Amino acid sequence: MFTQFITILILVSIVGCILYGRRLIRTEKVDAVFGNPERAKGGTHWIIVGSSAILLIWLYYSWDIAKGFYPKSANELCQVAKVNESLLGLKYQFPIEEREFKSTSIIKIENKNLQIITKEIQSSPDLSSPQKTTLVGFINETRQLIPLLTNENLMETDTKIQIKEMTAEIRLLTSNFKKNDYPFETDEQKSERLRAVSEEGGWGITKVQSGTGSIENTIEVPLVPATNKGLKFDAAAKELEIINDKFFKLRNHNPQFKNSIKALKDKIKEYRGGLDDTQEVASTFAKNIVKIARRIEFASIYPPNALNEMQKAIVEFDNVQKSEQGGLRFVDMFLFPAGTIVSSGTSCSEQGSGRWLPKPSDTLNKFILMSKPSVGYKNIPLLWIDMMDVSKIIGFILPDWIADVLPGEYPIHTKDGVVEQNFKGRVLKVVTGDFKLFKIPVPYGHIWDSFLRVFLGLIFGILIGVPLGLFMGLNRFAKGFFDPLIELYRPVPPLAWAPLIISVLGIDNTGKVFLLFMVSLSIMIISARAGASGTQLSKIHAAHSLGASKKQILRYVIFPNSLPEILTGIRVAVGMCWGTLVAAEFLAGTTGIGFVENVAKKYFQYEVIWITIFIMGMLGLLFDVTLRKIIDKTIPWRGKG
Amino acid sequence: MRKILSFILGSILALNLTISVANSAAKEVRVAYFLEWPSPNLEDMQKKNFAKALGVPVKWTNFTNGGAMTDAMLAGDIDISYSQGLVPFINAVKSKAPIKLVDIAMEYGMGGTTCVTSNASGITKANATELEGKKVAVPLGTMAEYVFDESMKVVGADRKKMDIIQMDPEEGAAALVSGDVVMACLFGGNSIKAATAVGTRLLTVQEARDAGILGIDITSVTTKFMKENPEMLRTFIEVTHEANDRYRAGKSDMNAMSKASEMKVGDMKETLSGFKFLTPAETKQSMTKGNLDAFLKGMGTPRGNVDTSFLPL
Repeated sequence: MFTQFITILILVSIVGCILYGRRLIRTEKVDAVFGNPERAKGGTHWIIVGSSAILLIWLYYSWDIAKGFYPKSANELCQVAKVNESLLGLKYQFPIEEREFKSTSIIKIENKNLQIITKEIQSSPDLSSPQKTTLVGFINETRQLIPLLTNENLMETDTKIQIKEMTAEIRLLTSNFKKNDYPFETDEQKSERLRAVSEEGGWGITKVQSGTGSIENTIEVPLVPATNKGLKFDAAAKELEIINDKFFKLRNHNPQFKNSIKALKDKIKEYRGGLDDTQEVASTFAKNIVKIARRIEFASIYPPNALNEMQKAIVEFDNVQKSEQGGLRFVDMFLFPAGTIVSSGTSCSEQGSGRWLPKPSDTLNKFILMSKPSVGYKNIPLLWIDMMDVSKIIGFILPDWIADVLPGEYPIHTKDGVVEQNFKGRVLKVVTGDFKLFKIPVPYGHIWDSFLRVFLGLIFGILIGVPLGLFMGLNRFAKGFFDPLIELYRPVPPLAWAPLIISVLGIDNTGKVFLLFMVSLSIMIISARAGASGTQLSKIHAAHSLGASKKQILRYVIFPNSLPEILTGIRVAVGMCWGTLVAAEFLAGTTGIGFVENVAKKYFQYEVIWITIFIMGMLGLLFDVTLRKIIDKTIPWRGKG
Repeated sequence: MRKILSFILGSILALNLTISVANSAAKEVRVAYFLEWPSPNLEDMQKKNFAKALGVPVKWTNFTNGGAMTDAMLAGDIDISYSQGLVPFINAVKSKAPIKLVDIAMEYGMGGTTCVTSNASGITKANATELEGKKVAVPLGTMAEYVFDESMKVVGADRKKMDIIQMDPEEGAAALVSGDVVMACLFGGNSIKAATAVGTRLLTVQEARDAGILGIDITSVTTKFMKENPEMLRTFIEVTHEANDRYRAGKSDMNAMSKASEMKVGDMKETLSGFKFLTPAETKQSMTKGNLDAFLKGMGTPRGNVDTSFLPL
């Protein structure tokens, strides 16, 4: 319902905005020539068209439109898929979707294999010429086996009858299939089926395993036929399955063939038995010849015209089932782009873009579910608040050695088993945060952890990179000294360091923050340096002649001048940090968005993967928008110097 | 405007067509396998015996984990996955992937997949509850996670109280060496070797076997390939079982196997000693009512994804 509404809304807004845009061009007084930036100003309606188009493509390729408008279509297509699955093996025998009969292609392949082995035998230096003659004799006998199978006159009557029977069965099914009340379900069966349908639920339901907090994969296409049309296909699929099995059990073996192959096998066995260890090559060749003979024995090779009737029957049924699908075929074609529903015996699934591109509605539902702190991902919420005692922060800030350097000893228990606290012990408690103060709310969760890592990496990068960059822009020694170092490590992609990080810095936050720090540092240095060296000399001269000290020049001229460059650098660094973060969290993690994505990948949870992608996109955007606001507020002189 | 519109429509059409027309006739069989995970049929792979037996070229592609095998099978790039772990297979069929289990590649004790605790931490089987509140490295969604779960049940430690870090075996071994984690669960000969250099197995191979902790690797196949080329699949499994027979009889060419699995012969023999290659009859028994069946039931696997009809009985 919701999806339907959204889809229509999107279509309407796209059409409306395009019409508005075209009218605007006509009504607007255009005195700006091509190339004038004025022409690119404004255009909210095009933003709407752009974002609506993305949403529409998403809705379309995730098959959410199909789900919204034809919720029963997946179930019906599942039944059709069952028929297709049952027909797969049989169809493959005939030039229906293939170019040639399977018999033909097998004969071609095996003749080629026999040729290859003949050549190998004849050119083998390890074989004596009598051996070669014997082996080639075997090959010729193997080759003689094929005409025994393809000769219509030799074909057994029993085999012919069985093929006829199967053909008749397919024909009967075809004529029944056209009838409206096929498969002649009784009321009892019907009520039973409908009960199963209601128990099974609809297309794409999501379940949460209560207690464990884990979200199960439940992109389910209901298996039990819910509609009369579906039922028809379901029943036909079952019948075809039986015919299919019968066909593959059938062997086109006549007495002549059986005798010949038995004789050949015995001969080769006898020959191999007569060989000693030194003649292993000949033995292997003989064994390979037997393998080809056995392949011919078990392949379904039939005389060229023996299966013609059957082929016709199958094609006829295929056409009937296609026409019986009616409108469903068009739904499949147009609303299930890039894939379709596929049956696999006991289950039906979406294969194609619907599989890896989750439906917007499902994604939203799952996101709402994951946002609940009690569900989260792997027992950790996405973003939530935890009450933390301020003492912990104090304990973290104050170094523990303060207690160690105080005079005296830590308390020792007395013989009564009581520990009496002394001053030194109390100080230790304070510096380790082992006391109670008031509690403050602290955010935690996957999103917060990722955010914090990026933030810390960025801050360290700025704190070290900016002064160093400015220094390098102003001082010959600094430039010369640090340049080779920076230029050497800057072009290295940050992820190239990743394999080392675990070994050197461990798996905790240190390593990840360090990786991000490396990313932001080089960017900050480059931008600060460019800013410092780009300051106009006239401004410095002016300040100098007004009597400004070195410090003042740096503080009031050079720094404000390089600020725009620095802030642009920060914006670039944020983007790079996000890019690196995910890979860093892939390495080893217990929390973080990258960790969530990595684990979701292992369990094929495509919705979760997309949720993480969106979260990262949104957070990146948030960072960027914030920075843009800061830039606009703090340096109004940007672009005007 | 019209050009843009026709371009958009054209590309939509192209996208829709390219994905729906996947592979057609099997002019070659594409098989996935693992390096560092030796099995007797790799000798046949090395000597191209599979191509001879199947009559068409066989292309072997190595993977690093079973989940990637499933992905490749769904994308239509792989027909048969040999020695896929059972846990990735279960994850795949739980997400309704159209693949089927047709054979057991091998059963193995903790020889090939195990949890190793660092010697520095002093944690052994006896005081394993100390693991609670500490960091452990586990490659989630693999057989190693299953082994981890079962081992924790044996030693009586609570998984939920531990800090589980998702790490692939090589990284897990590195983290154990650097002391970041007190235990790492791993698979693969080289990773276990690196980990046991600084640690010991939580459960010995024998203890794990006694506790019924058992890894099973399987052969899985796409439903499409199974339906279209049943005789090729049968031959593939037959050749594999012939190789297993040869291994049991001690006639395998160890050099060819070690070359194919990219391991040293000595290391490979050690890994192989932990593997059990079943006979076709044992395989069927395991698949219908034995270890495999129990495993699948224990993990809540949807039924009907096991097919024993291709076994050379």
